[in-house]
Amino acid sequence: MLFVTVFFIIPLAMTLFMSFHDWPLIGEQSWIGATNYTELASDRQYLKSLDFTFRYTILVTPPIFILGFILASLVRHNIRFIGVFRTVFFLPVVIGLGVSSLLWVWMLDQRVGIFNKILLDLHWIAKPQLFLAKPATAMNVIILSVVWKTVGFTMILLLAGLQSIPDELYESADVDGAGYFRKLFYITLPLMRRTIALALILSVIGSVLAFDQFYIITRGGPRNSTISIVYWIFNNSFTYWKMGYGAAMSIVLLGILVALSSIQYYLLRERY
Amino acid sequence: MTPRKAVCAVLILALFIGALPLSAQDDDVAMTMWVRNIGDQVQELVDAWNDRGGSQIQLTVIPPNEFVTKMGAAIAAGESPDIASIDLIYAPAFAAAGQLLDITDWVDALPYADDLLPAHSELGTYQGRKYAVPFLIEGSFIIYNKGLFEAAGLDPEVPPSTWDELLEAARAISAIDDETYGYYFAGACAGCNAFTYLPYIWASGGDVLSADYNSATIATDPIVREALEFYRTMWEEGLIPESASIDDGSSFVSAFGTGAIGMAGTGAFGINTYRNDHPELELGAFHIPGKDGGAASFGGGDVIAIGSGTQHPEEAWAFLEWMMSDETQLELYAARNRTTVRVSMLENEYSQDDPLVLTAASALAVGKSPYSLVYNDLFNDPNGPWLEMIQIAILDGDIEGALQLGQDRFTQIIEG
Repeated sequence: MLFVTVFFIIPLAMTLFMSFHDWPLIGEQSWIGATNYTELASDRQYLKSLDFTFRYTILVTPPIFILGFILASLVRHNIRFIGVFRTVFFLPVVIGLGVSSLLWVWMLDQRVGIFNKILLDLHWIAKPQLFLAKPATAMNVIILSVVWKTVGFTMILLLAGLQSIPDELYESADVDGAGYFRKLFYITLPLMRRTIALALILSVIGSVLAFDQFYIITRGGPRNSTISIVYWIFNNSFTYWKMGYGAAMSIVLLGILVALSSIQYYLLRERY
Repeated sequence: MTPRKAVCAVLILALFIGALPLSAQDDDVAMTMWVRNIGDQVQELVDAWNDRGGSQIQLTVIPPNEFVTKMGAAIAAGESPDIASIDLIYAPAFAAAGQLLDITDWVDALPYADDLLPAHSELGTYQGRKYAVPFLIEGSFIIYNKGLFEAAGLDPEVPPSTWDELLEAARAISAIDDETYGYYFAGACAGCNAFTYLPYIWASGGDVLSADYNSATIATDPIVREALEFYRTMWEEGLIPESASIDDGSSFVSAFGTGAIGMAGTGAFGINTYRNDHPELELGAFHIPGKDGGAASFGGGDVIAIGSGTQHPEEAWAFLEWMMSDETQLELYAARNRTTVRVSMLENEYSQDDPLVLTAASALAVGKSPYSLVYNDLFNDPNGPWLEMIQIAILDGDIEGALQLGQDRFTQIIEG
């Protein structure tokens, strides 16, 4: 309880308090009521960032989940050397997101990056590509980097769920002549409902709170097309020194996350 | 004495002995100093100061794009440095926030107070009080590759003096071969383009802000549109390498050093870099021209200030005074091809035979520095309106949309 109070309730209360102030990073603060909240509606970049963050979340969640599920299925059984594969798939998770983003900056470079080298060697491209020069390709490479970075975590979560399903159920289904997909939809997925809910909620929260990869790989570009909502909160709080406005955006974002998680939890609740 | 008491006695004695060297060091005050990463000059200065003995300075170098954010956060956390070398255009904002020490009396007492560079001194002044003095002096200009000029059939001793001449030179150099380009700009670097692109507008009599800096003139000043069209033409004709579109400033200096670029904007910091790293290049320099002639420069660089929370104001001022002294300016600035902070020393025994240093110094004569409390939000922010406008106009070709966006976002920021 003490931990929750110190690290969650007090910071939340302070953020809420700050959001009703004109609170510069340096200098005197003053009470301005709900002005920060009313200003949000006319903040063009805030609305654009919200839109971008949701599009990014919708695009990045399915590949993480589907690939995580496939990998979990592949490493489910305890066969020889399976630990090596599990480790390899999980390895990117233990690298910090900042470090992995820098790694991707290097890999995407048009002069020394490995992607251009491979594509040139395969004769798929005639000249080095500027992956971060166009909004669509910038978004795609970010998604690729995040899937690479986080899929191992989803794999581990789903693997735990898969291994908790008794083998007898599959053996009975085999006796009844059920095929792969029938077993998947009538045994595996229903019994993994809680695990799937956890994996999806964590993945969606992580995507809505995405920051490092945009700050480091794209710097919000090109043409400010990849500024996530947390990036915009950071900019307002620390670059423009508008801590109160940043706090108001954070409170709204918290509300959005609570709503999203509640909806997911409701849809994936146990129904028996 | 019991063993426990004996241990306690030994520990207490050790504490006293440990404290002795600390009190002996009190004379040598240790100060912290922050600077953005713009070359070795500051490290050399600090090393020279520390070698003299007495108070010592511990230098922290911060990436340029992070400086304002880190400085603001440090001040908010009560961890600000004793001395800060600040990009001069941020000085008013830090002074307004009460974070810099008022050094008016000390500055006014200097025998050469009126000799300090005026543009930098003005930005170190807030509401009539002085908070910072000139430190690193950078006037923007164009550096050019004389070898490529010659190869393109141009006279290397007669650089362009109008936009049309610059365009023609860029075309001729780009025509040499597919790997050579006439011009370079860092297309994803906000600050670089304030430094090297704004002067094209100023030199033609235009501006993006009103004279009192309180309103935007992007959509109303025809020169702004023409300047965007000028760069757009170079981009569209392939006179600028495609990789420039994603250069966030990391290749701002190095691109020209490859030897494949004819002309590029730079500052005094570029002179030593190119000479040391690329001695094979034959370099020339000229002022940033206006549309039909004239010249302008961004009076940039850093001012140096003392943090209002410092415990060592006298020692910090002693460093500033030493930095501005005749000897330091001559031996650690002029002798190393750096522009001095004193007007009377801009031309000195070291600069007389060096056309590049003279161009860098004389650029200050046509230099201008916007005085705005929201400069960072307007120009230097990588996600700010200045860079977005440039990218939409020059890289995408939507000049009309860029002008409107720039006007709207500038106005929104200025009006708070």
